[in-house]
Amino acid sequence: MTVGEGIVWVLLAVGVAAPLLGVVGVLVAPDVYARLHFVGPGSIFGPFALALAVVIDEGPFSQAGLKSILVAILLLGLSPVLVHATARAAYVREHGSLSLPSDAEEPPE
Amino acid sequence: MLLAGLGPLIAFSIRASAPDGLVALNLGGLIATLVLMLLAEATQRQPFFDLAVVSAVLSFAGGLAYARFLERWL
Repeated sequence: MTVGEGIVWVLLAVGVAAPLLGVVGVLVAPDVYARLHFVGPGSIFGPFALALAVVIDEGPFSQAGLKSILVAILLLGLSPVLVHATARAAYVREHGSLSLPSDAEEPPE
Repeated sequence: MLLAGLGPLIAFSIRASAPDGLVALNLGGLIATLVLMLLAEATQRQPFFDLAVVSAVLSFAGGLAYARFLERWL
């Protein structure tokens, strides 16, 4: 096994372990906001480790390397937006609107 | 091994409340995308990488649609 292959195997292990740990976190966390935290590491370390493994294996300018980088960048950009939208939906569902509870108690000026 | 993570998420999203199920759906879409990417690399078929790209975009769009829907009507 060459050094490159060793690095690829380590990256594969990281890329598979990060989302799986996220799954465990989602299953054991107490409420929806705590669960949302566990989506983050899986969506950053997972795609980037796997994309880096593909790039090292295939070369950075191969079709596979470019597309895996594209997937990693897409997931890096889109999944925080999705987490934010989910948290917002959960909050609005729970409280009826986006305003804080303290806002309602203050008298209108 | 990644596919082994999908089973608990599906079981969880069936039992849990709607926002919790949406969190599980987000993570499930991510895992499906990574599995497609690894399959494309393992089988050495370049066009299969397009499936991973499409899955990344569509799982985002689907999750966002669900979030808006949960926020307003459910």
